Amino acid sequence: MKVPLSWLAELLPALPDVDTVIARLDALGLAVDGVEVLEGAPADVLVAEVIKVRPLEGSDRLVVATVDDGTGARDVVSGAPNTAPGVRTALARPGARLPGLDAVVAVREVMGERSEGMLCSPRELGLFDHAGGLLALGDDAPLGAALAELWPGDTVLELELTPNRGDAFSILGVARDLAADLGCALAHPGEAVRDALGDPAVDDGLRVEVEDPKRCARLVLRRVDDVRVGPSPVWVQRRLASLGLRPRNNVVDVTNYVTFELGQPSHAYDLRALEGGVLQVRRARAGESLVTLNDDALELDPEDLVIAVPDERAGSRAVGLAGVIGGRDDSVRSDTRSLALEVAHFAPVGVRRTARRHRLVTDAHYRFERGVDPNLPPLAAARAAALIAAVAGGRVHDGVSAFGADVERPAIAFRPARVAFLTALEVPPSEQRAALERLGCAVQATQPDSWAVTPPSWRFDLGIEEDLIEEVARLHGFDRIGSTVPAMDFVPPSDDPTHRRLRDALVGAGLLETISYAFTGEAELAAARAAAPTVRLAEPQGTERAVMRTALYPGLLSAARLNHAVPDLALFEVGRVFGDEERERLALLLRGERVGATWRAPVPVDFYVLKGLLEQLAEGLGQPLEVVPAAFPHLHPGIAGAISWGGRVVGSMGRVHPEVEAAFELGETFVAELDLPLPARAPALEPVPRQPYAERDLAVVVPAALTYAELAQVCTDAAGDLLVSLEPFDVYVGHPVAADHKSVAVRFRFRHAARALTDAEVDARMKEVISALASQGYTIRA
Amino acid sequence: MLDEALTRVRAARSPRELQEVRVAYLGRKGAVTERLKALGAMAPEARREAGRAVNELKRAIEAALAARAQELDADRVRAELESQRLDVTLPGVRTRAGAHHLLTQVTNKLLDVFRSLGYQVVVGPELEDDHHNFAALNFPEEHPARDTQDTFWTTDGRLLRTHTSPMQVRYMRQHRPPFKVVVPGKVFRNEAVDATHEAQFHQLEALVVGERVTMADMRGAIAAMATALLGASTRTRLQPTYFPFVEPGAEFAVWWTHPKTGREEWLELGGCGMVHPNVFEAVGYRGVTGFAFGFGIERLAMVTYGVSDIRDLYRGDVRVLEQFRGVA
Repeated sequence: MKVPLSWLAELLPALPDVDTVIARLDALGLAVDGVEVLEGAPADVLVAEVIKVRPLEGSDRLVVATVDDGTGARDVVSGAPNTAPGVRTALARPGARLPGLDAVVAVREVMGERSEGMLCSPRELGLFDHAGGLLALGDDAPLGAALAELWPGDTVLELELTPNRGDAFSILGVARDLAADLGCALAHPGEAVRDALGDPAVDDGLRVEVEDPKRCARLVLRRVDDVRVGPSPVWVQRRLASLGLRPRNNVVDVTNYVTFELGQPSHAYDLRALEGGVLQVRRARAGESLVTLNDDALELDPEDLVIAVPDERAGSRAVGLAGVIGGRDDSVRSDTRSLALEVAHFAPVGVRRTARRHRLVTDAHYRFERGVDPNLPPLAAARAAALIAAVAGGRVHDGVSAFGADVERPAIAFRPARVAFLTALEVPPSEQRAALERLGCAVQATQPDSWAVTPPSWRFDLGIEEDLIEEVARLHGFDRIGSTVPAMDFVPPSDDPTHRRLRDALVGAGLLETISYAFTGEAELAAARAAAPTVRLAEPQGTERAVMRTALYPGLLSAARLNHAVPDLALFEVGRVFGDEERERLALLLRGERVGATWRAPVPVDFYVLKGLLEQLAEGLGQPLEVVPAAFPHLHPGIAGAISWGGRVVGSMGRVHPEVEAAFELGETFVAELDLPLPARAPALEPVPRQPYAERDLAVVVPAALTYAELAQVCTDAAGDLLVSLEPFDVYVGHPVAADHKSVAVRFRFRHAARALTDAEVDARMKEVISALASQGYTIRA
Repeated sequence: MLDEALTRVRAARSPRELQEVRVAYLGRKGAVTERLKALGAMAPEARREAGRAVNELKRAIEAALAARAQELDADRVRAELESQRLDVTLPGVRTRAGAHHLLTQVTNKLLDVFRSLGYQVVVGPELEDDHHNFAALNFPEEHPARDTQDTFWTTDGRLLRTHTSPMQVRYMRQHRPPFKVVVPGKVFRNEAVDATHEAQFHQLEALVVGERVTMADMRGAIAAMATALLGASTRTRLQPTYFPFVEPGAEFAVWWTHPKTGREEWLELGGCGMVHPNVFEAVGYRGVTGFAFGFGIERLAMVTYGVSDIRDLYRGDVRVLEQFRGVA
């Protein structure tokens, strides 16, 4: 919301300097987001009037306008569509520097015609964003006057208002809060018309019919006759321009002016549209349509609330979308002489739904959905009507047609002691009371320690005691709140929900942590052969962010593709995946080299390097890890396994399926994906063995397809309980081992807990092993 | 003879040569041995005299031999070690150093602070529902406050949490006060992505509830965090604002020196406030007060470590990830 300082100063005559204003607004919670310094009109631009216009020979667009700039007539070539006799506008004299043109105006020859200056559009003058015609001025701008004097610069504060402060979406609202804070007087723009609210007993020929009082609790209709629609005076145009609005005509400009000044939207209908002087508020009918002021053709919904007028054929037809935007055909036009000013209160939710349904964002809807003072319409109608009369030369009718009455807010029970209880601010009750009253609350001391506080009608956000505590603290100053540490009987558990130890271990092992997007594309999941998505976004940011990921490794594959030039890629991610349920996972990716240097042959990454990494991780958590052959769609069918961690299957690991590798433009790549948290075991110290172990090596020739796990099982079963470890130390294929066979060398270690073993005892065990192997058809290699 | 013997000892270049010298003098047929043998034929008087001289000679040669043997051994060790000399200037053989993601490091740093202040760390789901993300947090239906949240809805009517605050509701329903918890996590907003805005980012949120927790306690917690991050010279600033789930509500800023510009200024971090009575009612609490505050991790990480494009944090580019080593 924009707040021009000159306008604020009009409502707050004691306005301090701009830095103080910004500091106070920030401290009040009306955060200042930016400060814009607006230039006034440029020098050497005069108010001039077009006397006559003739076509420029040889041009179908340009005309020669003879203008009077107060000193005499001169000819100027113009291309603006509204160059017509009687138009009062801005003439840039030779030498003028126009901000919107980036050039100095000069006397020029245009197709044989001498042009002594330039008639200007608002954009060329840098005043507001309209280039479709000349700046239109009214009679208030004297011929020959320097525009720079009529249209000086201003400083505009840009406020970022929170949605609860509907009351502050106006110059009045901001001024009111500042006045309460600074303790200075507020010049309410409605003061002058407080006695001109209109007499309901006087017949103005108008009638109001409200069909839905829940959504339209208040409606005031004021009649203004004998208006002359034309350009607004400079002071109105300037104020609207400083808000970033484009001035239209004096009637529309006034309704906009009052919207921003008081925060009360209104709309002016041509009285000719009101059949029998009747204005209705009703639900739209199925199939009904409306063309808005912005030329949007809307198909109305029965949930929409419309402003309507009686109609011969249809019985009633919509002329405006209540609280959002007026209709094009029945609003004030250039030939309007009598108008009906509709000033109403519409309930926030209905306006919000309607605006959203039709994808409309308007100044009116923005205010109504945040809450407009429900008691404001009579005063705002009087203010707007008086302003129209002042700038469009009309006559405000003494009568008024209205619906609804002032509403009174329920009082809030407020205990002054609660301010200190909640905020630790010691604010004397007298100061609390004064603060609440300055904000417009009515305070009644019902009991010694409890007050009945009635908030003003414009403060939608004040409903409970805590709201009032905030108000007192706001005016007292949030920054005066102290800094303490609560004594609390709470001992937090020392668990590790963010998997910090796991991440530390992986980083220690040389992996880089990545964080990918939780949303992804269905195509990426499919290319990675991950599970199909189950959670889809209703309004995604493109197809690549349309579904929730079902696995982490596709993100790592994408990262690997991005980092294709890196020779030794080692990545991991801890994150959530979304299948039938949301779960936490860990994914790892290795590609290229694992250990190496630039000048010496590196150790290439393979399945066992990845497995070793996982084993190291499992060891760190005190858990045995096993990988059992298993097939996964995204993994190489022969180089893949299920990870069993402490006896529980937690995930998969292996080489990425070559077709998936190809889809991601990758060479040999290895990935693992595991469910978190990984089972861990609390360590318990076991006695350190004092006995030496006895070692025996055995080379066993087995069929090539036999897994080491199967061989180990046979050995372990046969070796008995003295066996403490069994490890492979060589796997050999080739001569003299028979084809389709391999030789696996295993090392057995035996130990007795209490005494040294004799050779005979160990040999006896090995004999058992050898005979067990023989019974499987395996031979021992000498 | 002694001079000649000592010269030959010194001239010996290897243990073998030295052994030859030893044999030549002290061997069974060595020159010294011959002299000793000759003593037997001498008269007792002369024999004593000559015997002493020969023994001295023998001792001197033996000493020289031993010294030379030691020298040769030292030379041998030196030569052997020299032969093992490496070019220590060649790069090492290694796995590359890993790195935590910058956001993890910043989060860890913050969690360290909160743990030291006695907070419990809790995490919660990213896929949430209207009730936990909005309704129970006092966001009325059809209220403009919901517009500020730019929600990603799912086709089945759930949503991606727009803040970590749903965990307030989940935690409070499962625990009784007093407690101090801190919630880090991923959140989502459906807003246009540019260098400073992402549809996915991280927040950290603290919630403290007890019998009599005040706004001053809240400021104290914020100040403690700021001090741990920025040093004792930092200050905090509170300015009123609105979040539906707190009342009073405020924005907080910390006074810091911008690492890039060197300027001392306010860094607006996040929002805070006293837990709204409607939130307590939604979780069934009575007779307690509490505060909550939260802020975005990305922004803090970006301004602290000079990241100019938020998207760099999510691309997984190793050239970026590697630079995160040893940040915190």
